[in-house]
Amino acid sequence: MPKYSMAVDLERCQGCRACMTACKVENNTVVSNNWMYVFRFEEGSYPETEMSFLPRQCQHCDNAPCAKVCPVGARFKREDGIVLTDSDRCIGCRYCELACPYGVNYYNWQKPEKGQYDIVDWHDDDIQSATGGAIPPYRNPDLDELYGEEQRRTAGGGHAKGVIEKCTFCVHRVEKGLDPACADTCPTDALIFGDIEDPESPISLYLKDQSPWQLLEEAGTKPNVYYIGGKPPNKELKEIERPKATV
Amino acid sequence: MAVETRPDVGLPQGVGRLTLKWKAFLLVALAVLGFGLFAYGYEQANGMSVTSLRSTGTMGGATWGLYVVMVEYFIGVSLAGIVIAAVSRVFRIVELRPIARIAELLTVASLMVGLLAVIIDLGQPLRGIKNMLLYARPQSAFFGTFTLVAGGVFLSALAYLFLGGRRDAAELAEIPSRLQWFHRLWASGYTDSVDERDRHRRVMFWLSVGIVPLIVIALSTEGLVFGVQVGRPGWFGSLQGPDFLVLAAASGLANLVVLSAIVRRALGDWNRIDAAVFKWLGRFLLVAASAALYFMVVELFTLLYATPSDERQLADALLTGTYAWIFWLSIGLMTLGLGLLIAQAASSNWRIGTLVVASVAISTAALAERYLTVIPSQTHATLLPYDTGSYFPNWVEFSVVAGLFAFGALLIGLFMKVFPIIPMRDHLIPTQDDGVEATNA
Ligand code: SF4
Ligand code: SF4
Repeated sequence: MPKYSMAVDLERCQGCRACMTACKVENNTVVSNNWMYVFRFEEGSYPETEMSFLPRQCQHCDNAPCAKVCPVGARFKREDGIVLTDSDRCIGCRYCELACPYGVNYYNWQKPEKGQYDIVDWHDDDIQSATGGAIPPYRNPDLDELYGEEQRRTAGGGHAKGVIEKCTFCVHRVEKGLDPACADTCPTDALIFGDIEDPESPISLYLKDQSPWQLLEEAGTKPNVYYIGGKPPNKELKEIERPKATV
Repeated sequence: MAVETRPDVGLPQGVGRLTLKWKAFLLVALAVLGFGLFAYGYEQANGMSVTSLRSTGTMGGATWGLYVVMVEYFIGVSLAGIVIAAVSRVFRIVELRPIARIAELLTVASLMVGLLAVIIDLGQPLRGIKNMLLYARPQSAFFGTFTLVAGGVFLSALAYLFLGGRRDAAELAEIPSRLQWFHRLWASGYTDSVDERDRHRRVMFWLSVGIVPLIVIALSTEGLVFGVQVGRPGWFGSLQGPDFLVLAAASGLANLVVLSAIVRRALGDWNRIDAAVFKWLGRFLLVAASAALYFMVVELFTLLYATPSDERQLADALLTGTYAWIFWLSIGLMTLGLGLLIAQAASSNWRIGTLVVASVAISTAALAERYLTVIPSQTHATLLPYDTGSYFPNWVEFSVVAGLFAFGALLIGLFMKVFPIIPMRDHLIPTQDDGVEATNA
């Protein structure tokens, strides 16, 4: 059984946020939900300032507090290490969001299509005829398939109002042998995905001879995302800007 | 003791008689409930985005807000009622006899409202009810809240209310009225034989003995919903359970005092709740409020010494920042309430008006404390360096919560019109005129 993990090379990350956009397009998430998020930090005071970046997605923890607290088993960990949400079972209690120390869970506060790029009224007749009635205009049909041994609807976002979502490691792509969209898109190859149990996999080879660290290791969540270079974030770091999108 | 009915008015305690005052109460309560339903309907149609709730982290909000605060508050309030009813039976505190049914009713009503608030907070309320039945996981503290509080305490409280009222129901069933069918149903064949009384007394005794640990477990679990969270500074800790319990006792007793005072007034000539009842309640409240203030002071000192970390950030928000006004208000109100109680205890002069003021202060302080448990750890204590968030409930949330209060008040108000809220004769606490020896189980 493989164990999927991701390495994030902070020496390579240039903070372009292409991964964030790729994730949105791939998973059809609403504008305010950033399953993949890249912090842009500033440290020190002018002119002695330094910038740094930190991509932060679900860490697919081995000891996932989110899965432990879910009252109905909608949040669960697969044997291959991917932590998923069954959007048909989630009751929208948001307990997982509070249990997760990383802030990676996003709730659909309204009908997903309403929060999808609010510059356009998707119900407008002209737009409806141009898009053939699909709302939003493009939706990857793979996202509505059932996956894994459990055969549950776990891929992609924007399924329904009142349920929680988060990064799925692009389970619908992984099942086809592809990398997650963020890793596939990163122009500097700062995100490396693969089976960490296989010594010949790209991630195992990449991490060999490195000293990776993990985010909030002290929380005991046993994350499956490994950071290379840079340093763990601290309270002295200031975010340069936060996302404008709201619901 | 004569059966407490008057030939000129039929049923006792104003049961079945809709006075002008009661109709006015009904109208106001229905209006508030109606507006609450409208607000909830609006929220359901448009999504919870019409509330002030937002995701934590990059959205900079609080994902659990006023609704969850009210869950904690109402379920806390339910504690005192049933415990007072149980304690008065187990320890035979005859003075508390007149409010035993009010106490049971307070538990049933606040549990119903509290559980309704849980459902209201869910993004998928109907699926929530279904999936909690199909897939509930005992490992989740949320499951504890649902099964223990809902199942155990709610059913026990209902059983209490039912058994405790059977003799009254049997007596009322003899009186011709439009409610006769209901009283017959409640009495369900009760004949008041010595054997029957004895059996009832035994069941109630064991129910009383069993219900106290059950409610302690249930309410501690409620505290653990927060206490087991490693990822949120301010929440993780073994004190959440006991803290929750103590504050629940204080707020529950305070609500019982206020409700008893209201019932006392509403009953007019029928009133049998005398000063002795309030003296007992005042003493219980004094103990509970002292313990609650003790926990608050311990929390304050811990905050003052918080090290420069996430805990410090939270401490600053509470002591001097965004939440300072709520924090100091809650400490001030709890101190005021306790001060009034101590003054009354010292002079042995328990005045109902002063006790009600103290109770309102203590209950409001408890509500503010609940708010401070739930909200600041979401907006000001993220472990990754997100910007601080903000949250304050908006009109939708306030209206829904007002609707919940109105629903609770309606439950109690309606009950008073179909059944005597003061036991006409409580056969479960033996007295001389019952002609039976006091027997325990
Ligand atoms: S990062 Fe958060 S959501 Fe993802 S597995 Fe860990 S605890 Fe769960
Ligand atoms: S929001 Fe959904 S996935 Fe998260 S804990 Fe609640 S039911 Fe489980």
